[in-house]
Amino acid sequence: MAEEAERQHLFSYLEHRFGISRKHFADYLLLRKRRTWFLLRDTAFISSAVRLKPVQAGLRAFQQVGGFVKPTTRFIQTFGRFADRSRVQIDLVRLQALLRGEKIHVDLPLHNGYVILVIGKGHVLGLGLYVNGRISSQLPRKEIRDAMLS
Amino acid sequence: MTHLFEQYGDMIPDFSCFQESLRRPLPTHIRINRLKIAPSSLVEVLEEKGIRLQPASRRHDTLWLAPDLRLPGNMLEYFLGYIHPQALTSALAGIILSPHENSCVLDMCAAPGGKTSHCAEIMNNTGLIIANELYPARHIPLGHTLARTGVMNAVVTGYQAQEFPLKQRFDFILADVPCSCEGEFRVSRKRDTYREDRGKKMLPELQKKILLRGFDLLRQKGKMLYATCTYNPLENESVVNHLLNEREAEVFSIDTEFCVEPGLTQWKKETYDKRLQRTIRFYPHRVDSVGFFMASIGRRG
Repeated sequence: MAEEAERQHLFSYLEHRFGISRKHFADYLLLRKRRTWFLLRDTAFISSAVRLKPVQAGLRAFQQVGGFVKPTTRFIQTFGRFADRSRVQIDLVRLQALLRGEKIHVDLPLHNGYVILVIGKGHVLGLGLYVNGRISSQLPRKEIRDAMLS
Repeated sequence: MTHLFEQYGDMIPDFSCFQESLRRPLPTHIRINRLKIAPSSLVEVLEEKGIRLQPASRRHDTLWLAPDLRLPGNMLEYFLGYIHPQALTSALAGIILSPHENSCVLDMCAAPGGKTSHCAEIMNNTGLIIANELYPARHIPLGHTLARTGVMNAVVTGYQAQEFPLKQRFDFILADVPCSCEGEFRVSRKRDTYREDRGKKMLPELQKKILLRGFDLLRQKGKMLYATCTYNPLENESVVNHLLNEREAEVFSIDTEFCVEPGLTQWKKETYDKRLQRTIRFYPHRVDSVGFFMASIGRRG
């Protein structure tokens, strides 16, 4: 189990950066394994699960990347819809550019950091990294096939 | 073509139609993942792209036929976890088991995770699913499926299913066991003859052990679904019959909108408990999907 201070730190970050209220995580446990945090639904059966020597538990939610903690793509795809800031709407053309390794220019009143990439009618793709007016992709390139972009 | 599954000629009704159905490729079915998107929204999204979907079920709005989609895994909606390509009959396993919200579920042979993620969706990501998979290499695709579909109530374990620890009892158990996969067979360009797999002779013993262990893990009022994608009675009715001989088990009728055949009460020299008639067989000439056998099991009394 992650320590309460870690939980507070991570969910405060989500609230501050993206406006995702920590109330959305009230029913979940935050687990930590080395440099990775997992979100698992809290339930009366958890103690049973622990006795069974789990290999994996819940959804991988955060990953330590250097000195930073990055929310995972799958975590953001699930909870990103609750965000009311640091969201960037892109289209297929800009997505293709990002996935080619290009940086796209945006004009946002933001501090540098992660942004949520949204396509179409609110479909959350994952994260980009916003630095000094440009966004680079943090999407898992191997999982997005070229055929998906046509 | 006449030699295909000819050992089942007397068992499968309208056998020539069955054999003819094997000439047709498997249709593309998808399951819409309600953990991520409402079915009506997804249908709308795809229609805007010119992709036509047809309801595959009158009762369940998550099951769709996608005749325009050759490779659903190449869609952005797949990456987003909105859809999961899954045979219609495979998706019915989760629906027939119907695990309740906030219940404790065991999926004994979980990889690659399609049925596990379906259970999580039916449970609305509540309760707990123990997704058990023996082979570490298969934990990877299992984990990917669960993550992509937004499952947050599952814990993966790595036990031999037949030796799953008896520390815990479960409300619902899915025993979708290793089998000879005859139900998946369709004639393709790659092969036009069906070959007997010598390894499949070992399967019934393994399946019996898994089913017995699953039954022993079931709570008093719990429900287990035994499922295979094969036609072989030695892997189906014979296995369930073995359970009935060894345990105080009951077989329950299965309500489904689809055209099914009842389980057998005899095969060659074997005679089975008449309760096996409550099991069901899906054939490709009745339901255009993978052939399946399913048995709904509980404790007697």
